[in-house]
Formats: sequence, structure tokens, C-alpha cells
Amino acid sequence: MGILGFYLRKLFNIVKREMLVLPSRIVVGLFFLVLLLLPVVTQDPYVLRILVLTSIFAILAASWDLLSGFTGQMNFGHALFFGVGAYTAALLNLHAHIPPWGSIPLGGLGAVLAGLIIGIPCLRLRGTYLALTTLAFPIILMGIVFAFSNITGGELGVSGLSRLSGSRLSDYYITVVVMLGLCTIMWKITDSNTGIIFHAIREDEVAVRAAGINTTRYKLLAFCLSGFFAGISGGLYAHFMRIAGPSTLEVSMSFTVVIWAIFGGIVTIYGPVGAVFILFPLLEFFRFWPEYRMLMFAVIVLLTLLYMPDGLFPWLRDKVETECPRCKIRNVATRKTCRVCTAPLD
Amino acid sequence: MKKTTVSWTVLLGVCFVMAMSFPAWGAKTIKIGVIGPMNFVQGKGHWNGAVMAMEKINARGGIQVGNKKMKIKLVKADSNEFLNVMDATNAMELILTRDKVDFIVGGFRSEAVLAMQDIAMDYKKIFIGCGAAHPKLCLRVAGDYKRYKYFFRGTPFNSRYLVKTCFIQMATVGAILKKVLNIPKVKVAIVAEKAMWVDPMIKAAQGFIPKMGMEVVGTWRPSAVATDVTAELSAVQRTGAHMIFTTFSSSVGIPFARQAGELEVPAVQVGINVEAQKDGFWKATQGMGNYVMTLNTYCRDVEANVLTKPFVETYIKRFGEVPTYTADTYAAIVYNLAPAIEQAGTLDADKLIPIMETREYLSPGGTVGYLKDAEGRHLHDLKWGPGYLTSLGVQWQDGKLKGVWPNRWKASKDAPAITYKGIVPYKIPPWVIKKYKK
Repeated sequence: MGILGFYLRKLFNIVKREMLVLPSRIVVGLFFLVLLLLPVVTQDPYVLRILVLTSIFAILAASWDLLSGFTGQMNFGHALFFGVGAYTAALLNLHAHIPPWGSIPLGGLGAVLAGLIIGIPCLRLRGTYLALTTLAFPIILMGIVFAFSNITGGELGVSGLSRLSGSRLSDYYITVVVMLGLCTIMWKITDSNTGIIFHAIREDEVAVRAAGINTTRYKLLAFCLSGFFAGISGGLYAHFMRIAGPSTLEVSMSFTVVIWAIFGGIVTIYGPVGAVFILFPLLEFFRFWPEYRMLMFAVIVLLTLLYMPDGLFPWLRDKVETECPRCKIRNVATRKTCRVCTAPLD
Repeated sequence: MKKTTVSWTVLLGVCFVMAMSFPAWGAKTIKIGVIGPMNFVQGKGHWNGAVMAMEKINARGGIQVGNKKMKIKLVKADSNEFLNVMDATNAMELILTRDKVDFIVGGFRSEAVLAMQDIAMDYKKIFIGCGAAHPKLCLRVAGDYKRYKYFFRGTPFNSRYLVKTCFIQMATVGAILKKVLNIPKVKVAIVAEKAMWVDPMIKAAQGFIPKMGMEVVGTWRPSAVATDVTAELSAVQRTGAHMIFTTFSSSVGIPFARQAGELEVPAVQVGINVEAQKDGFWKATQGMGNYVMTLNTYCRDVEANVLTKPFVETYIKRFGEVPTYTADTYAAIVYNLAPAIEQAGTLDADKLIPIMETREYLSPGGTVGYLKDAEGRHLHDLKWGPGYLTSLGVQWQDGKLKGVWPNRWKASKDAPAITYKGIVPYKIPPWVIKKYKK
């Protein structure tokens, strides 16, 4: 009882002193709570389906941000990781009868391997050249998928996979908990020493190398980490949809991820996640006007990026919070002095 | 006084709402979900066919279900499956859970239909596929009948029969060339667009054409959206090919036919050219697409049976064009679902399935029956061949699309010869006759 009380007090203190001091943290906390408690309000299978897919793509978008946003390795072929994860999980499940809890992490590892394979030749490239090279990889893999159709199922893909779980509700909780967990891990990575090196590589790779850091190793690490998370999302997708097909490798999939991330705000992790949670259900909502669905979607994305070039969430965050000019700690915009160093906030 | 006015207003409002919803108390409708890529010609075909079916059934008072008549209500769902498979599954779940449809017709892209099939099976709703031709959709029924028994193929017959029909039409034209032009061995050039779906067809054609006593002189793969194919046509001409086996589903079908006509390439075109199935083909090729032949489902003035003409003519009158095969949602509703419901007297899928899988019925495309596999298991796949569905071979002849196959076609030596009403003889282009006639 005493230990429980200690931890409850500690949790209360963290919530009070760390979370409730900033609007963005309150929103993140509410986001966690709403997602975990939503089935109490509704268990509509369609709503849960949309949220399951949204959670899966949130992992994918965040993983793109980890590689392209934080490390600056512009990847226009992120569908490769997603597709490799989906196909690996599907083939292992179908032929080796490995259940989803085993095939999905193995799908992630398959994508790590793909990350290494494309990371090594891409290390010499930067900017546009890197982006165009990465764009080619999912197309190459799609060619392989069609060439070995007896294994990959060709245009039909691999179908008849085991379900993620026995019910839509448990599918929902699995994907939401995995998404929240993986996105938190990604955010923690970007906040760690490794994350600082990722940042530095993006800003000035030569300077990082001059500081004695092996940038090659870190860039490969970024490819592998991003591949792993994207592969997990691919595996989840394959088991939820019960099919892994060529559509997982399509160019449109790669570009959709980029749109999500840029809409939400890159170099944030939470930005792409939030963007998927807005844009994916929004596209579903626009079904009431099917002819103009994609047009309305495009207009919203364009208008947002026109007025919020850094993305929606950084823009919103800057409206409600300010950064202390002295200690760089964030404060509520209404404060006159910094909550840590008491420097005046202008 | 003010309180009394408010009470009366509320009471009137309640009465109005009750009066408005009264008709819904007794007359429940049968909801049919129509799912397809609605912004594309295939989805429009799905929808148009279903609308015609609804109008026809509702005009006669609806479907007799037990002792009451129930009208049909259609629910449109855009699957967007060409661009996004996931969209298709979301649309399927939406119509099943929100709109609570009783039956579903439609679907086109095989990968998407497989995913949609699983969702419809989860909800135990009858799903009649009207677009995807892949055999796997029906092999699933035989493999796991308990789960997949709710799926039926509505149109087209499976892709193996599609290829077979193409080869039969090629052999028919080859025989005409041999007979009329005294060509001892017909040379065939395979020209297929660069697309994944064509690859197995090319392999099959390369293997099968020599078995038909013809010679393959080469294979060319122009881009599916090429606007100039003179290089390919010149190469084909140099090989001395008498026949070009085309496999085009995209826009390349127009420049290929137009330039072949302009250059008067001395080779007849047979196979699949989706653009040539459309009414606008003649105008698009400026008349140069004359004598192009393609596989098709419906054609003006061609009657597979007594139901074809009324369907095609009403469709043209209603929508201004000849129906595509996805418009067979009409047949799926009018001739498959409706009679089965009336016979069973219920909407219960489990009671309808035994009726649907054993019924043989006439539809505008031909007689529909369902296959069993070698082990006698239900496939819910369409029967193909004489007496059942065969499709058509159509040829552009001086600005009009004419049916030219089946014309005294015998599926085997002992089988009766089949000719559909309205079929006209195949015409060899005059420049081909001029080149080869001795």
C-alpha cells in the first residue's frame, strides 16, 4: 500500500508539474486518454476500423519523420519498408504459420534488412539525388513481386492471413497501444543523444564528422530504426487487412506519408501522428461528396501549408506556447516570465 | 398563454415527425450496396446497371418476399480501388455497418475485391462480384465453403476462359485468312501494352499460337499510354505478320489502331482493345480504326438471347452508350437475386445460397450457371461455353461496331454450331486482301 501510494504521489507530481504546465502536453495526455477510453463511448466497427488504420499509418508517418525529418535523409520510397514489413509478416504467417505476435516483429526486422540494403548504396547521396534513388526501390520491389508471383501472389498479393486478434475491439486496442508505445519510443529516441546526432547530421554533416562522429553509422542506424517502425506498421496492416498486396508498395503510398508528415510538421514526431489522425478520418468523412472528395482533401492540405508552412502542429504550438530566450524552456503564451529561469518572455 | 403556444408547437412538431416517418414503419426496403470505382467507367457501369435493375423491379411493385412486396433501395459506395485498396475496404465496411445493406454487388480490381470479400464474409452478406476475373476469388469458396459461400461471381467469367475466348477468336480469324487469302501458315505479331496484367497472357499466347498452326513472329510492348507507335508498327510490318494479337486496356489502343489504319499495315487486328469497345472509338481514330476486332460483352443489334436486346436498347436510351460488362449488376439483381429471394421468401443469406448456387437462368449476356470443381465442391464461378456465357467478338465495320463472333462456332467436333442473332461475317481489310490475295 505504501509503495503504491508513493508511486501514485509521484505520478500526481509528474502530471501536475510536468504535464499540466504546458498546453501541448495536456493535449498529448488527452489524446492518450481519448484513444484508450473511446470504446467506452462507441464500439461501432466502422469507427474502430478507421481508427485502427489511422493508428497503423501514424506509426508509418512518424517513422518517416525519424529518418527524413530528423536525420534529413529525404526518403521518397518509404512504402518499401511498409511493403517489406507487410509481405514478410504475410509470408511467414501463411507458410511458416507464425502467429501475428511473431510475424509482425519479424516483418519489422525484414524492413530493417531492407533499410540496410538501401541505406548502404544511398550513403553517398544527398538531397534530390537521395530522394530520387529511394523512390526507385519500392518500384524495383514491385517488379520482384510480379516476377516471383508464385511466392508473392503477383497482382493479388498474399491473402488469407491470420487475423490480428479475435475481435475488432481487441484489434483496436492492440494497434492503439502499439502506436502510442512506438511513437513514444521514437520521440524518446529523438530526445536522446542519438537524436541530437541525427539533428546535427541534418544541419551540418561535415561539422558532425569533424567532431569525430561516424556519421555513416548513424545514418544507417536511422535507416534501420525507421525501417523497423515502418515494417511493424506494414505487418499490422497485413494482419488487419488479411492481405499484403502490391498496393502496399505503390508510389502513392510513399507520397501520402510525405504529405501527412509535412502537413503535421516535420521534425516533431507528434506532427505526423496528429496529421494522420486528422487527414485519414477527414478523407473518410468526405465520402458524403465522393466526386469532390480528393479535391476537397487537396484544397485543405494546400491551404494549411500555404498559411502554416512549418506544418499545422508547430503553428498551433507557437500560438499557445513561447520559448524562453534564455533557457529555451517552453512556457504558456500567457506567462510574462519563464517558469524556470524567470527571464522575461516577450 | 406563452406556455400553451410552446406546448402546441412541440406537439405539432412531434406529430409532423411521426407522420413523416410513418411510411417507413411498414414498408421495409431491400438495401443493395453497389460498390465500385465510381469516378471511372467501370464504376459507372456498376451503378448504371444497378439503377436500371432498381427501376425495373420497383416499377412492378418490388420483390415478393413471403407475403409482402419489398422495394429496392440502392446504396452507392465509391471504392476508389484503382488508387487505394484500403479505401475499398473502408467503403465496404461503411455500407455494411452504417447503411446496413442486405446484399452487395460490384468490385473490380482483384486485390481490392479479395480484401472486400473478407469483410462481406465477416458480416455473412451475399456479395456478387461484377468486375474482377481472377479465379482465386472463387477458389476460396471451394477451399473454405463455410466462410466464403456468400460470394458469387456475377461477371465476367474467370480470366482463364477470357484468354481461351481470345484464342478461339484468333483461330477463327486465322482460318478465314487461310481460306480467303490462301495463306499456308498465318504469322502472328503479339502487341501488348506494358502492364502487369498482360504478362501471363503473352506467355500463354507465345505457347498456344504455334499449337493452333500459326507462327509467332515477335512480341512488342508499347507503353500503355503511348501516343506514337509507328516504330512498333513498322517492325511488325517488316516481319510479314498477317495478324496482330492486341492486348490493350489503356489509351494506346487508339493511336495503335489509328496509325495502323493510316499506314495500311497489311495485318488484321484481333484480341482485346478496350478503347475499341467504346462508342467514341470511331471518332477518336478518325475512322482509321476500321476493321479492328476486339473481345466484348455487349453490342448493338447482337442478341445472345431474348433478354439481350431489351437490356441493351434500354441501357442506350437511358445512358446514351452501349453497356460495359460491369453493367451486369443489372443481371445480378434482376435475374439472380430477385428470383432467389422470391423463391426462398426471405432475405436470409443462408437460405438463399442453396437456391442461387443451383439455379440456371437466362440473363442478357447468356445463360448463367455455377460451376463445381473436380471434387464436386461449389465454386460459385460462372459456367463458360456453348449454351452458357461466351462473350462476343466485335469488329468495326464502316463506322459501326458489329458482332462477328460466335458465327457458326463449334466448341468441339460434335457440338452444335452457335451463331447469335445479329452476327455478321468477319471482314478482312481491303489492303490486306490486296497484299496477299493471289
